[in-house]
Amino acid sequence: MRLVRFWFPAVALVVPIAVLVLLSQSFAPLTVQRVVTEALIRIVAVVGLYIFVGNSGIVSFGHVTFMAIAAYAAAWQTCCQMLKPITMSGLPAFLRDNTFPLLPSALTSIAAAGALAFLSGLVLMRLSGLAASISSLALLFIVNVVYSNWESVTMGTASVVGIPTYVTAPVALVCAILAIVVAYLYQVSSRGLTLRATRDDEVAAAASGISLYWSRLFAFTLSGFVMGLAGVLHAHYLGTISINAYFLNLTFLTLAMLVVGGQRSLAGAVVGVVVLSAIIDIFRRLEAGVSVGTAQLALPAGTQELILAAVMLVILIFRKDGLMGGRELELPRGKAEPPARVQSAKNLAGAAGKT
Amino acid sequence: MLIACLPEIGRQFTGPAVPALFETCVLAADVMHRPKRQTLKAADVHVTFGGIHALGGVDLTLTRGRITGLIGPNGAGKTTMVNVLSGFQRPTQGSISLDGQDISALTARKIAQAGIARSFQAARLFRDLTVLQNLTVAGIGSGLSMRAAAAQARDILDWIGFAGNAEWRCDLLSYGDERRISIARALALQPSFVLLDEPASGMNEAECDALMTVIAGIPSQFDCGVMLIEHNMKVIMGVCERIHVLDGGRSLAEGSPGEVQKDPVVRRAYLGEKASDKTLAI
Repeated sequence: MRLVRFWFPAVALVVPIAVLVLLSQSFAPLTVQRVVTEALIRIVAVVGLYIFVGNSGIVSFGHVTFMAIAAYAAAWQTCCQMLKPITMSGLPAFLRDNTFPLLPSALTSIAAAGALAFLSGLVLMRLSGLAASISSLALLFIVNVVYSNWESVTMGTASVVGIPTYVTAPVALVCAILAIVVAYLYQVSSRGLTLRATRDDEVAAAASGISLYWSRLFAFTLSGFVMGLAGVLHAHYLGTISINAYFLNLTFLTLAMLVVGGQRSLAGAVVGVVVLSAIIDIFRRLEAGVSVGTAQLALPAGTQELILAAVMLVILIFRKDGLMGGRELELPRGKAEPPARVQSAKNLAGAAGKT
Repeated sequence: MLIACLPEIGRQFTGPAVPALFETCVLAADVMHRPKRQTLKAADVHVTFGGIHALGGVDLTLTRGRITGLIGPNGAGKTTMVNVLSGFQRPTQGSISLDGQDISALTARKIAQAGIARSFQAARLFRDLTVLQNLTVAGIGSGLSMRAAAAQARDILDWIGFAGNAEWRCDLLSYGDERRISIARALALQPSFVLLDEPASGMNEAECDALMTVIAGIPSQFDCGVMLIEHNMKVIMGVCERIHVLDGGRSLAEGSPGEVQKDPVVRRAYLGEKASDKTLAI
């Protein structure tokens, strides 16, 4: 029973997602299957973002960078053997002249993302609050500018094409489950607990012997690894990458998903992705046009973005802690009544006594 | 040990040279071994904010197993003293030593790990965590594993009479309970000394009585010394063995509760010139 209670918050997220994915695999048209796969990759990314942002309370604008690092690292190792020496002549010889197997390439790419997260975290985590957020934005810009201009290695702003595409819904599902489990285990570990303490009160955390720096750096690095996984999936799903795909648009989309779902719980991260992905897809389809009887109806282009903005505003105004309000999906606890309810129970008992 | 030093190395990038770094590391290594300490001593502590002297040469000694009261009118520098002793405020001059070892250069976290815990005037609980988790965090901070820290947290909650509500989130607690848990969290750090900053403020009569029992029990139960800042004279006179009086950043008097109550200088500070011949309100 204790084991059930322990794993419930993670299982309650994983099972519905798995069921939805399997159903869509069997019954839904191909376009829907693609949407599902994209959503699963975004779950990996947003859960990766959540590991740091949710637990530390510091908004990071830089996490998409780690996706880019891993995506490019994977592309260098696996893409287009014939073209590489010409298009990316500046690559070191072992990368330029070889093609690596998919699994080792994925692992090293993820490690590269984690390594950059650790190294940049060494500096960034010395800052707190808004200063840390803004500096993470600087990281995003630095990597973007470097990759946009390092033409002999990254092909500049042009797309790298010819990356093997093996990421289907089941592969993405396994990775999403992995990300959720990692995030959950981290959050209930002592490191996760102490980081959430620093989120609530930095001063009291220091007075309790907790190092803000190390607890944040650990989470930042771990989330870098998970973002790396998202980057690898993304590259091997699309088969083509360009640096501007990992810039402000994706940064704000992932952050919007986290905010809408509720940035202080893992359930919020996952729910945010599912809800916003659904809304985005529905309105994209409406923009493309639907036939109602004989009439062809289409919403003007850009409606989807406006709707997204509206959803975001509504959430921020009416439910600023997000859809999940910072709670996990937990089994109800028998003995732990919140004070308000204890109070009313006492009142009831008193009233019953009088009558 | 090298790992424990790494943050220091980071900090030293902005600070002075390497020998200082080495010193801090060795010191931290020593301090972190955490046997129980006998005395915490502040010698000639000055703190200046701009041109304002918050503390102007205070000497104060805390002894393990003893409850020392720190009283004084508003603005006397009591909270500044707690901040200095707990590492949140570097003294402009003077030193803090733990069993003769100078700890004034350590960060607040290191000092907490060395065995000096504190509570805050505003309880400063981790609001999104449960009561149990609040205490567990401090246990982890003192170097325990998660499991050991949680077990210890349960024991402390048991002792303080909150065991049944360990799973409540702290944003649901009443004011009085917040204070109690904030004391419990300080104790979860397994300290040699606990500094309590106005734990009774805002409590009603019954809560104050319960709090006095709790505070009086701390030295024997947790084998540590207590420094208590309080405006409520009933609490102070009821539990303290020694009382130190501050006024305007200077030590005014120190002695047993009886001595301090009779001290004409203390009465003047508290009650003004004219009232100095009346008894101190209790």
